[in-house]
Amino acid sequence: MEISGALLPAIPAQGAGVGTSGQLALTVLMGVFLVAVFLALTRAEDWRTYTPLAGGGYGESGHHVRHKPEGITRWLTTVDHKDIGMLYGLYAIVAFVWGGLAVLLMRTELFTPSMDVLGAVAGGTNAGNALYNGLLTSHGITMLFLFGTPIIAAFSNYFVPLLIGADDMAFPRINAIAFWLLPPGALLIWAGFFVPGLAPAQTSWTMYTPLSAEQAGFGADLMILGLHLTGVSATMGAINFIATIFTERGKNVNWANLDIFSWTILTQSGLILFAFPLLGSALIMLLLDRNFGTAFFAVDGGSPILWQHLFWFFGHPEVYILVLPPMGIVSYVLPRFSGRKLFGFKFVVYSTLAIGVLSFGVWAHHMFSTGIDPRIRASFMAVSLAIAIPSAVKTFNWITTMWNGKLRLTAPMLFCIGFISNFIIGGVTGVFLAAIPIDLVLHDTYYVVGHFHYIVMGAIAFAVFAGLYYWYPIFTGRMYQRSLAKWHFWSTMIGTNLTFFAMLLLGYNEMPRRYSTYAFNADWAPLQTVELLHQAATLGAFILAFGQIIWLVNFVQSWYEGPEVDGDPWGLRDTSLYGREFEWHERRLQTAVTDGGEEDEVATDGGVDETAAEEAVADEQSDE
Amino acid sequence: MAPDVFDRETLLDLSVNVIPLFIILFFVGVFAVLPQFGYSLVPTLIQMALLIVPFVGLAILTYYSGKAIATSEAELEARERAVAGASAVEGSEETGELSEDEDAQPIEGTETDGDEESTASNE
Amino acid sequence: MDEQPGVSDEYRLSSPWPLFVALGLTLSEVGIVLNLLPISVGGLLLFVGSVSGIVQDAGYIDRPWGVLGGLGAVLVVLGAILVVTQVSPSVDALLDTLGSAMAADGNANVQRGLSVAMAGLIALLGSVAGRATGRRSIEAA
Ligand code: HEM
Ligand SMILES: [Cu+2]
Repeated sequence: MEISGALLPAIPAQGAGVGTSGQLALTVLMGVFLVAVFLALTRAEDWRTYTPLAGGGYGESGHHVRHKPEGITRWLTTVDHKDIGMLYGLYAIVAFVWGGLAVLLMRTELFTPSMDVLGAVAGGTNAGNALYNGLLTSHGITMLFLFGTPIIAAFSNYFVPLLIGADDMAFPRINAIAFWLLPPGALLIWAGFFVPGLAPAQTSWTMYTPLSAEQAGFGADLMILGLHLTGVSATMGAINFIATIFTERGKNVNWANLDIFSWTILTQSGLILFAFPLLGSALIMLLLDRNFGTAFFAVDGGSPILWQHLFWFFGHPEVYILVLPPMGIVSYVLPRFSGRKLFGFKFVVYSTLAIGVLSFGVWAHHMFSTGIDPRIRASFMAVSLAIAIPSAVKTFNWITTMWNGKLRLTAPMLFCIGFISNFIIGGVTGVFLAAIPIDLVLHDTYYVVGHFHYIVMGAIAFAVFAGLYYWYPIFTGRMYQRSLAKWHFWSTMIGTNLTFFAMLLLGYNEMPRRYSTYAFNADWAPLQTVELLHQAATLGAFILAFGQIIWLVNFVQSWYEGPEVDGDPWGLRDTSLYGREFEWHERRLQTAVTDGGEEDEVATDGGVDETAAEEAVADEQSDE
Repeated sequence: MAPDVFDRETLLDLSVNVIPLFIILFFVGVFAVLPQFGYSLVPTLIQMALLIVPFVGLAILTYYSGKAIATSEAELEARERAVAGASAVEGSEETGELSEDEDAQPIEGTETDGDEESTASNE
Repeated sequence: MDEQPGVSDEYRLSSPWPLFVALGLTLSEVGIVLNLLPISVGGLLLFVGSVSGIVQDAGYIDRPWGVLGGLGAVLVVLGAILVVTQVSPSVDALLDTLGSAMAADGNANVQRGLSVAMAGLIALLGSVAGRATGRRSIEAA
């Protein structure tokens, strides 16, 4: 991509356009690149001679088969689910930082009613507006597709095989391909910002046509391409998880004692399987409209509303794709600090499945105001109300689990409780929006922004933090600094509620979403209230950002200097709540100590360790 | 959902999905009896399909997942009974202690017993 | 744990191919959509090459040449279809279009189709050459 980047501005929308010399240069560069790849592969062949091919038979002890190359090559070539999980995690955190910085710029701009900060940065009011739109688009897409989906994949890659007693994913190489599609995808999505001569796409994450079909510039094309790649990646991952959970379960794991996190990942994968290919196709249709002269979404062609249907048929399941696994994390972690197993385990499983099915029947609640037939609209409202039930059931289960429990307010537990609290506000506002008469008033206001941020930030991100803290000892063998973690929690909790509650109120004041300025006529709107609420939201955003800095510092520093902990950092060993993943971790620690190194840990894999793995699987059902 | 497939316990678990099913059914009735916007072939057909398709989908998935889980449970119980016949049952606390030094001293039989026991008791 | 080949009983923990499969797919998409012939040809070659390599790596096939040739043929067909959609159905028109295709102001979709077909052709040639020389794998070529 760097190769093409420099030349892109020279290309007209249609036609080969790069002058002959340009073509020549590209060809040479591409040739050099391919030769380099070829050489790299030949070198790879060298280290691979230590390790026989799949069919080549394993040696007696089997330890050489587990050989991993050293240094960076290890990470570039790994097909080990745990390594890939770590890669997903790192990737998602980088995306989180970028998406967060983008929104801080936006919130800074919104501190005052008129266009000033971004205008000064970009040079002029119009350029400032364009920059705002670009940041808005990038923030949404980054947080949903480059942070949300991958951070969930980080957990599922690392833990699903451990929790179900599998050796690895069903298709380790496809797993690696799925990850490696993401970095190029991110580069393409962000290309508009850092490739000179390109402008960022200004389509917002929904990419509504005709705007997105007609917006000039390659920035939008590259973004759509990048999005398409991340969609391919998610689909590959989903197929892999379905195959893994169905076929790779250990002897002692069946549907009756499959843990709750794996259940949510299974459901999520099913949703991805039906939703993402549709997004991929719709994106390709959009690209064709933009570049190949088709008219799928043209006003006098297939109609712009077609895009909305296709997009939301994907888009609503997408929000559950994002929220189900975090619900699984909370259902998994919360009982461990409540001193009792999850209340109504099966209720949670069945309601997860119910959400999975029903989420495909509600998409047009995002389109209530587009003038679709009122009868059809009413059906979407009905199913949207029905889908609120399974979500509410889960909430009651979590609360009941804590009821009369022996609560231990560790950082992961705090984030779980924060999740529940925020999820209630986000869910209830969602039910309001699902009622047509209310939606017609609140649609496209900040109320919607408040609603879904209570879920995506207040719930999804909170559950992610709960998971990261809970499993930090497994990732690093060390413990984080508890007081910093509490600071992180409280600033995140306060920041989230300040920002997004202000947004709900802004919505009641009819502040429309997606505007960079709000210097209204004071006769139409309570300008002072609106300004005050915007300032509160900006303040909240900075409190949030402050909390995330603490979190990053804590994690990085503890990684190097945190106190080392044993296989039971949460004191659960003597209860029925000790998880399979921690048993695995404990075994890893013990074999590493007694046998003195990775290689030997591996050697035992065929013997003692395997027995242990099965025992681990048999144990721990509490994995609710 | 014949009773011979699901015992009372399972039916109780499944009831959680009966509520959304009921809500959907309720709206089918309402829209059929009190059509606020009149009937008209295509829109009414779509309107009903949008309710009935999720209804059927949810019913089918609930049925099959309930069956899969009930079957697996029966398997676990059968296995537990077989094991319980063979040896004494370990308490779950001891299981925890055993797993501590399992690498030094794998005691397979007992370990598994305790595990199976707690597995079943947790359902 | 289970008998499928190339699945989880496969213990090797690294493979050089996934990274390149992903890069190949990326470059081909960018090249085709932006109509940059060298990028699409190179990207597609990287993609089909790596796919053949990874399929061999996973132990599904002994030699990569069959898959490489098959994918090459698919590309040729797809490219040809794209070209044909752009011209009126007559041999003259086709030849005419092809003749002027590479001019700077030529029909962009014809150029895209040709780049895909070209990549397919090279892959086919590679497959034939690989077979002829009897090599075991792509990187050992
Ligand atoms: C559970 C996790 C949920 C997530 C992640 C989520 C996410 C979102 C998102 C991202 C949007 C904004 C889409 C846009 O950009 O226009 C949205 C809007 C909406 N959500 Fe949710 N939501 C969730 C739950 C719910 C629930 C439970 C309901 C109701 C049953 C609901 C009803 C709505 C409605 C009706 C809108 C459209 C509002 C409008 O645009 O006028 N949501 N949600
Ligand atoms: Cu929705």
